Amino acid sequence: MTTCTLEARDVTKRYGDGEAAVVAVRGVSLRVEPGEIVLIMGPSGSGKTTLLSMLGALLRPTAGTVSLDGTVLSELSEGRLPDIRLHRFGFIFQDFNLLSALTVWENVAIVAELAGLRGRAARERATAILTELGLGARLDFLPDRLSGGEKQRVAIARALVNDPALILADEPTANLDSAIGHEIMRLLRGIAKEQGRSVVIVSHDQRIRDIADRVLWLEDGAFQDEIALAVDPVCGMSVERERAASATRDGALFYFCSRGCRAEFLNGPPSA
Amino acid sequence: MAATWVMARRSLTANWLRLLASVGGVALALSLVLALDAIVAGVSSQLTSYIDRAGADVWVAQAGVRNLHMVASWLPASDTADVAGVKGVVAVTPILYVTDAISANDQRAIAYVIGLPGDATMGLPWEIAEGKAIPGPGEAVVGRDFARQAGVGIGGRVTILGRDLRIVGLSEGTGNLLNGIAFISANDFEAARGSAGLVSFVLVRTAPGTSPDAVASAIERTVPGVSALSRGAFAAEERRLVMQMAGDVIATMNGVGFVVGLAVVALTVYVATLARRREYGVLKALGARARFLYAVVLAQAVLSVLLGFATAVVFTSAVAAVVHAVGLPLALVIDVSSLLKVAAFGAVIAAIASILPIRQVAGIDPAVVFRRGAVL
Repeated sequence: MTTCTLEARDVTKRYGDGEAAVVAVRGVSLRVEPGEIVLIMGPSGSGKTTLLSMLGALLRPTAGTVSLDGTVLSELSEGRLPDIRLHRFGFIFQDFNLLSALTVWENVAIVAELAGLRGRAARERATAILTELGLGARLDFLPDRLSGGEKQRVAIARALVNDPALILADEPTANLDSAIGHEIMRLLRGIAKEQGRSVVIVSHDQRIRDIADRVLWLEDGAFQDEIALAVDPVCGMSVERERAASATRDGALFYFCSRGCRAEFLNGPPSA
Repeated sequence: MAATWVMARRSLTANWLRLLASVGGVALALSLVLALDAIVAGVSSQLTSYIDRAGADVWVAQAGVRNLHMVASWLPASDTADVAGVKGVVAVTPILYVTDAISANDQRAIAYVIGLPGDATMGLPWEIAEGKAIPGPGEAVVGRDFARQAGVGIGGRVTILGRDLRIVGLSEGTGNLLNGIAFISANDFEAARGSAGLVSFVLVRTAPGTSPDAVASAIERTVPGVSALSRGAFAAEERRLVMQMAGDVIATMNGVGFVVGLAVVALTVYVATLARRREYGVLKALGARARFLYAVVLAQAVLSVLLGFATAVVFTSAVAAVVHAVGLPLALVIDVSSLLKVAAFGAVIAAIASILPIRQVAGIDPAVVFRRGAVL
């Protein structure tokens, strides 16, 4: 693997024209260094996924540039992008997006084959990575027989099989329970810190802050200053402390996304 | 390449009902074409069975007559001796021939009626199941299948050319889908038709080592007012006539089979592609080139057609075996040219069926895979 630097400069994405135009991302700049974990947070509809799509060369910005070690991806022809995506990026999705008709090892090996590896070599590489991720006993399973955590580990193996320098993860822990979510976080941290890959994560999950080197807050399509966040104890949403409704109980201060959650909290049983 | 076939195979087998419908539909469509070809080939083969097995190397007919089915041929009886005198001819048998209805009890059937001289060495029934081969005056040899259907046997009565005759022989293998063959004496034939002094064909056996075609040419040069063809050429003319008669039907059924097969494969591959659009989007996002996805779609169509083709061949062969076992007066002959034609049909079907889904695949936006719940 060759380390590389991903850089977005004044990136804007506009959908539609005229009065109906919607600006999903406006003038965002970002530089991701090798081995760095960058967490992008923000409310729903803030443009996180659009930004991630542009960083991964899946979507062309309306303005600005996305470059990888100086190569401007957003200016490359469509025909050159598949190779970039295959060899330089690894994608991890919230819904795992495994191919349901293929077995675990085939899901990983097919991406290696697309990158040019021959059948047996692709299978061996897929098997090695899957075994390393604890899926050695699940190689011939179809995805629908796997747990959520196992599916995400297969997706991680698939993202790593072509030895990319950058991992782009969209809500990688969203569909997982707490323990499995921590396991995935540990894996992502290892990918960055032990293997030297850059990891860009888009998530609502506050726990991922623990492994991130940088946390960026995207709102209305632009990065805002890092703001103090808290978790609504009723619904679990991330809320801005400065703007949120709050209440004190047993000497502790709590923040809520709405007055409804606050009322529910205050009318509920006292905390232990 | 391996990935293409794995994806195609798994996509097809992921839904067994869809696979069954696809393969079954293709098999049905190709079977239509294959079975019709087999019937035509079988009928064609049966129609020439008398020509092939009468024992003649050369057939001599009235000038311009070049086949047996649905023709009238009349030659002066004296031509028989003239033909016998041609170099290379070792034996001749004049026969009388007409197509007419024969009946026994209430059973009626169309038959070639052959009038044989008492000393005939050619033109006889080639397999006798019961009785004798050469009928004398007042006698007839009919096909065993006809006799069974009419409920008559040796000693029974049959009406041929308006004459009531006694059955003295039952032949085997002389019936086909269109007609049977009945043999009577030349005397009865002449009496019934008033054809004294005439013959229909002169059957010729050539000397060993001589070319039947060369002898046929020599006969035409030597005997005026006749057409002479070797057995092979005479049978080929007969088959050509059959193909002319059945050509429109065959073309129509081929067209129907082609359209049905195309519709089934196209629909199946299209639905399979639609059902997997998200996965194709994922593959695009991961770096798969469009041509890989096109290849997967094409491979699915090819697999469907291959399975359908194999099923069609097995099915049609089974039908042919059953028809043979049941003893129907029909033979299904699956020949190589028909297999090649149906295989070519399949290849064209697979290629055309892939076009529509390929357009779908080309339009997939890989970025959509990040949009949860997005309907692709």
